Amino acid sequence: MDKRVADELIRGLTDLFGNASSVHVYGQKARAAVDRARREVGQLTGARQNEIVFVSGGTEANNLAIRGVCEASIPHGRHIVTSAIEHPSVAGVCDSLEKRGWEVSRVPVSEKGIVRIADVREAIRPDTVLITVMLANNEIGTIQPISEISKLVRKRREAGHQNLRLHTDAVQAAGRIDLNVDHLGCDLLSISGHKIYAPKGVGALYVRRGVRLAPQNIGGHQERERRGGTENVPAIMAFGEAAKISREELVVRTEHVRRLRDQFESEVQKRIEDVVLNGDRDARLPHLTNFSFRYIEGEGLLINLDLQGVAVSTGSACSSGTLEPSPVIRALGRDDELARGSIRFSFGKDNTDDDVDYVVEILADAVARLRELSPLNKQFVTSQTP
Amino acid sequence: MVYSTTFKDHLAHPRNVGELSDATVVAEETNPICGDRLRLSLAIDGERIKAAKYLAYGCPPTLVSGSVLTELLVGKTISEALVITRSELIELVGGLPSRKHHAASLALETLGAALRQASEV
Repeated sequence: MDKRVADELIRGLTDLFGNASSVHVYGQKARAAVDRARREVGQLTGARQNEIVFVSGGTEANNLAIRGVCEASIPHGRHIVTSAIEHPSVAGVCDSLEKRGWEVSRVPVSEKGIVRIADVREAIRPDTVLITVMLANNEIGTIQPISEISKLVRKRREAGHQNLRLHTDAVQAAGRIDLNVDHLGCDLLSISGHKIYAPKGVGALYVRRGVRLAPQNIGGHQERERRGGTENVPAIMAFGEAAKISREELVVRTEHVRRLRDQFESEVQKRIEDVVLNGDRDARLPHLTNFSFRYIEGEGLLINLDLQGVAVSTGSACSSGTLEPSPVIRALGRDDELARGSIRFSFGKDNTDDDVDYVVEILADAVARLRELSPLNKQFVTSQTP
Repeated sequence: MVYSTTFKDHLAHPRNVGELSDATVVAEETNPICGDRLRLSLAIDGERIKAAKYLAYGCPPTLVSGSVLTELLVGKTISEALVITRSELIELVGGLPSRKHHAASLALETLGAALRQASEV
């Protein structure tokens, strides 16, 4: 966490202990701090202050957006359009609504991991109430054409399809690229604090003025009746500070991580054979890259790197003897071996050139060791047992 | 669950990697559901296992189970190797979460296949 953000969190824990919904002076001081944070998050997204709903993070923001719009739109239809590479907090909500009678169209992506506008256009029906497509993918970083999709939505609305809404999960994109809701043209947008160096457990949903939303947390008047529950004042204050810094330092941070990422990619491709870059080289977030390493499995590589102090992630999991290869990598048309061997590397503002050199060194070593162990890259003269 | 020191040591430094050039038997088994694969070669002199090597593809518990199994096998007789249990292997790797027990099962299935071959030699 950024030191300036941590300071704001501590100020919220020590100085501003009042309940922001209370009318006494302690409560009103906390309220003022929450409102300041709301302005900052609003500025990060180009939203008005009263269009920001504070929640507990990206998952809740996505749940509130999708369930909230769908439940409020029942008289107009029960059809959702989404993509094949959504985060589980979107895909899971869509699956859950499907079990409750909604219909869901999941548009595929190209082999580079980008939704095609023509597929979205074809998927929209007269009873579609929501399109939910992420702004940038969390595993491969590909940026989806949200402003193009919003043009489709606008055309449909002009043609009389008034109740069609566009939501985008911008959790991974926040602090990395422009998040202006008017440039994007979305009606709802989810962000999470911890992705912009704020604490975990806080996030926000942007809800464009006029969009009807059925609240999911009922029993409190907080957040203009859209999210009941006492506000987590210190976390919200820290989130506001992180949003401010993120906006002010966007260009510097972006250039820094892009340079490190590009240097890392180039070294990996020079040093390691049989690697496949997942995603698109151009339309993607600046801080992230995803490689599949042939002949080896991602989790083994992940733990090997972890043992040497490097934290990466893999979208695949082998659990109870059931393989769950990353749905995102599979959606790119990759085979199971590549889907199992995929690893996401992301770079942050505090990473250095030395970090890149170190990671490349231990990565090349770990890949070589795991390949030495793998039967997949060897030709055997002996026969296998039946 | 956090993996044990033994587990991490075997993952970082797997023992007996490769294939014996003078193997008496070689067996390879695949978990048909998750695709994990283990290949075991044993050099057997009479009743006793003189050397063991392995190759593996799959999640870390599969890689580690193979490594621990090869260490365990060297010096054992075929009869002793036949009675190694899954819980014994899991204990030797320093414990595994229940969702990863299939890795130890794969190692023992491969051992079973190798020993069946040995009995036919």
